[in-house]
Amino acid sequence: MLLASAALVGLCAAGAPPATLLDFSADEMQRIVRHGPWPPPRASDAGNAQAERADAIALGERLFFDARLSIDGLLSCASCHRPELAFTDSRERSLGRMLLDRNAPSLWNAVHERWYGWDGAADSLWSQSIRPILDPREMASTAAHVRSAIATDAELACRYRRTFGHAPAGDDEAVLVDAAKAIGAFVGTLVSGRTAFDAFRDALARNDRRAAANYPLPAQRGLRLFVGRGQCHLCHVGPLFSNGEFGDTGLPFFTRPGVVDPGRHGGIATLRASDYNLLSRWSDARDDDAATTKTRLVAPQHRNFGEFKVPSLRNVALTAPYMHDGQLATLDDVVHHYSELDLERLHADGEQILKPLHLSDDERADLVAFLGTLTDPYAGSWRPQVAPARCR
Amino acid sequence: MLAFAAGAAQASDDCAVALKAARPLFAEADGVRVAFVPRPSPPPVGRHFDVDFVVCSRSGVRSDAVIQVDADMPAHRHGMNYRAAVSPLSPGVYRAQGLMFHMPGRWRVIFDIALDGRTLRLTRELEVQ
Repeated sequence: MLLASAALVGLCAAGAPPATLLDFSADEMQRIVRHGPWPPPRASDAGNAQAERADAIALGERLFFDARLSIDGLLSCASCHRPELAFTDSRERSLGRMLLDRNAPSLWNAVHERWYGWDGAADSLWSQSIRPILDPREMASTAAHVRSAIATDAELACRYRRTFGHAPAGDDEAVLVDAAKAIGAFVGTLVSGRTAFDAFRDALARNDRRAAANYPLPAQRGLRLFVGRGQCHLCHVGPLFSNGEFGDTGLPFFTRPGVVDPGRHGGIATLRASDYNLLSRWSDARDDDAATTKTRLVAPQHRNFGEFKVPSLRNVALTAPYMHDGQLATLDDVVHHYSELDLERLHADGEQILKPLHLSDDERADLVAFLGTLTDPYAGSWRPQVAPARCR
Repeated sequence: MLAFAAGAAQASDDCAVALKAARPLFAEADGVRVAFVPRPSPPPVGRHFDVDFVVCSRSGVRSDAVIQVDADMPAHRHGMNYRAAVSPLSPGVYRAQGLMFHMPGRWRVIFDIALDGRTLRLTRELEVQ
């Protein structure tokens, strides 16, 4: 860390920067460098003993795309998390068996997140996977239906047996949880690749001015706004560009006339009531496991009402529309929202973290240009790595 | 006053020695002092961390205090999203588990201590990056 800091100071002091590299201050560069490196150390689904197993990942991939898990065979996980759309569905609010209340978030890098769902009602990928399977508005399935779907398909039954060491028989709920853990194991493999920003960030970190200068100037200017006047980095921290927590963004949170989405406030209540959280009998984490810290110690507060998860900004250019209910169509709309923020809509009674920035058109375009450099070029074209052999 | 100051200094030394940390931080009020160190140090932003600490009074290291550990951002008027759990780590040494600074900036670590029939609040501000 000291070496990195010294290198950054050296970068500032070593003569005039090239014409295509802004004169970032040492403070700016330290803030930029904190958004890496990427990829981060490997992570796996919490409370999921199967998360690292290739058999579980292969089974989970099949289940993820299998509409037979839904009660009428019409919906799969991939219906709302489409690989060609960076595992979103491009809709404002997702369409299950009816129009849902929220936007489908991308699954890229979900394994590096702390909470799942816009309200953080789930504390693991496997737990989050169970919710849409059972939700009557979505896949509307049951544990018995899921067990039957797996048990009556020779390939799935074989893969289940290979993964879990026994046939998908007996306790329906146990099979449902196993299926969810396989799905969680698969989703945990979806870590996106490096981006133009990562190359720039690493060039700054190693004091390579020539390489850093390859980063487009509009993106450099946008990044300067991001870590400076915009204060975006206060919530969108670290390599994931998210602190993993929740915030009030000053948007209306009515889902329809007279109905309010309580956001994190309801999410914590749902988490605590869940039969499938990390403290439940279905979790493979011990109660004193560090992975359970968040679930044991999360503290509900009044201000949680109307707070929604701070999303990762990696691949954000691929995941329109935006915010918890997709009410902003484009990245420019998002930047405009923060630029012209309506303070009356914010709950905070202290210092305003969010302030209207009144950005010019050019500045807004620069911020959007920067956000575009957080895109992995392959994040919209996921394909299975290899065609899996038939299970015997 | 001199006697008190000498006693407080001794308590500080006792605290630092008992904590076995290279560079402990301190919070102090009304003759009670806490030596503490975040684990890891410096504390990260957006990730859970622990705080190991020792409580000292003029009589030395105390293992009979009842302590709650919290943190807030005074300028933002918000606290943490998690309630830290305090447990003894070894005689006289406590660990507060599960703190999280969810954004960079100036945070205040708060030790609420019940000791000898008194309740004290000791604080120490940290600039977190």
